[in-house]
Amino acid sequence: MTVIRTRAQSEFLRRNGSQIIVVGLLVVLAIVGVLVSDRFASVNNIMNILEQSVTLAIVSLGQTLTVLTGGIDLSVGSLISLASVLLSGITNGDPAMVFPAIMIVLALGICVGLLNAAAVIWLKVHPLIVTLGMGAALQGVTLLYTMGPAGKMPLGFDVLAYGRFLGLPVGAVITVALFLGTAFFLRYARFGRYVYAIGDDAVGAQLMGLPRAKVLLFVYAFSGFMAALTAIFLVSRFGVGQPYTGANFTLTSITPVVVGGTLLAGGRGGVIGTLLGVYLVSLLNNVLNYMDISSHYQLIVQGLIVIIAVSVYVEKKRKL
Amino acid sequence: MSHAVEPNLSGMASGAEATRAWLQRYALHLSLLVMIVLSAAISPSFLSGGNVSNMLLQAAPLGMVVIGQVFVILVRGLDLSVASVMATAAVVATSFSGQDGDAPVIFALALAIGLGTGLVNGLLVAKRNVSPFLATLATMIVLQGMRSAWTQGAPSGNVPPVFRILGSGAIYGVPYNLIITAVLAVIFSVLLAKSTFGRKVYITGGNPVTARLLGIPADGVTILCYVISGVLAALAGLILSGFVGIVDNWVGRGFEIDSIVAAVMGGVALSGGRGTIAGGLVGAAILIVVFNAVLQLGLPIQMQIIIKGVVIVIAAAFYMRRKAG
Repeated sequence: MTVIRTRAQSEFLRRNGSQIIVVGLLVVLAIVGVLVSDRFASVNNIMNILEQSVTLAIVSLGQTLTVLTGGIDLSVGSLISLASVLLSGITNGDPAMVFPAIMIVLALGICVGLLNAAAVIWLKVHPLIVTLGMGAALQGVTLLYTMGPAGKMPLGFDVLAYGRFLGLPVGAVITVALFLGTAFFLRYARFGRYVYAIGDDAVGAQLMGLPRAKVLLFVYAFSGFMAALTAIFLVSRFGVGQPYTGANFTLTSITPVVVGGTLLAGGRGGVIGTLLGVYLVSLLNNVLNYMDISSHYQLIVQGLIVIIAVSVYVEKKRKL
Repeated sequence: MSHAVEPNLSGMASGAEATRAWLQRYALHLSLLVMIVLSAAISPSFLSGGNVSNMLLQAAPLGMVVIGQVFVILVRGLDLSVASVMATAAVVATSFSGQDGDAPVIFALALAIGLGTGLVNGLLVAKRNVSPFLATLATMIVLQGMRSAWTQGAPSGNVPPVFRILGSGAIYGVPYNLIITAVLAVIFSVLLAKSTFGRKVYITGGNPVTARLLGIPADGVTILCYVISGVLAALAGLILSGFVGIVDNWVGRGFEIDSIVAAVMGGVALSGGRGTIAGGLVGAAILIVVFNAVLQLGLPIQMQIIIKGVVIVIAAAFYMRRKAG
């Protein structure tokens, strides 16, 4: 009995080790936050953190899947920029156009993702290069469309960013639902297992006859869709789309993925770790703000966290 | 230079195949030539003295960064931190009195930053097995933070005149910065093609396991490649600060992407072990010509970015095909 339980425990630890570390760090940060400021533990501040983490969470969700297959999506930033200017440009204040515009940008996200995957599969070019090229091309298209803020959204569209559902931020509820749905899909759907299999051992997956092309098409389309969704939330927050609004997301979307324990080499990790990673980054910035530490130093801290995370996790894979 | 690493099979091939092989080998140089001829035909001002020297001035810092990037890519790496190193070196250049007397201090500090960054990158990649993408991404972010913390977000001050001369001056129409890049290119090409260190770089990148079995200190070789990249990026940052004259926190922005694009276009394989500095430099020249042609042709400047995106994917696909075929 004891032996079996120990084995189960070590299996649990092996599977969830990185999540446990991140949860531990979240607790430590929360304690520091409480010690630093009495406003930290207020409902307002917690809602604020949840609201602000929505966009990073959604784009990182898509990013996690591409990384799980051993790839990466560096086109998300430009895609967010393009989708956001198209959304507010097409809508241009007309409430009747909101729904069609949303459909258009979501379709655009899917198409861009499919194109990325097609180049990875059939041109046999590394995802890094494909999505880098796609990102550059999309940024160019965005700037051809507009050099400044484009159009505007009708009143009330900010409900996505600032609305409440059962007392919780609408965006945060949607975010958690998306993550749980994706986690369930990855864990229990056959197709979800393929995502891991292809990332873990591409050759083995091919020998087993797994549909690599289909999986990659799905994963990059998913990432594109999530980037477009991120743009919708950003436009809801700012009221207008801007041509550089997504620029920072390309690289920041990778931080939570890595911090959450998903290996860049693919095949290991998961979306729940990413969500925890997102909250870690958001909480960290929030606490640093309360400590009156300028955003310059926040960058340094973020970089150091990436360095620490990657050196800890990589070592672990080697041991296994 | 590439003869040493790629076996020359054209001797065994028939005439048509030999022509094809020749075309494939020099596709890059031919496309550069075609682009220059086309641009010149469409826009007479393209080959004017002013425009040519302008292009050369821009090519020099990029070329310098490309040399380092080639070393890193040869050992299966990637250096995303080069632009951040450049900007940090440039910020250092303006952090003193702006007199020539400070030049040696600035020079030493900038090189130390490049060396330190390269060392951290290399150690993370070689000793901790971190993916090069993440290691250099992280150092890029840390440097960014240190830079803006140091300048409080808005750098000010002047670049010493000697850097202005090195960055934008010319002798007989040949920019000084281009001469520096050319000398560095020759030195590092010889190092790569003729020295034992160069051999070790190719073997380490070609197959790290073989390298270890041969007793090559693969980790040390890898670290040294990142150090070379960091130091050259710092140097390029100083030169570029002299070219633009004013320094903000983003001097060199885009150089990480452009240098990788140039190397890939120049036939340096991201999978490691294949490629030359000369190839990377031709890739850089193509980038500069394309950017310039877009302006000369009166196309909107946004087309530069779009074309860059399309060109990199096509170039990478071309080399994949060649490897497969």
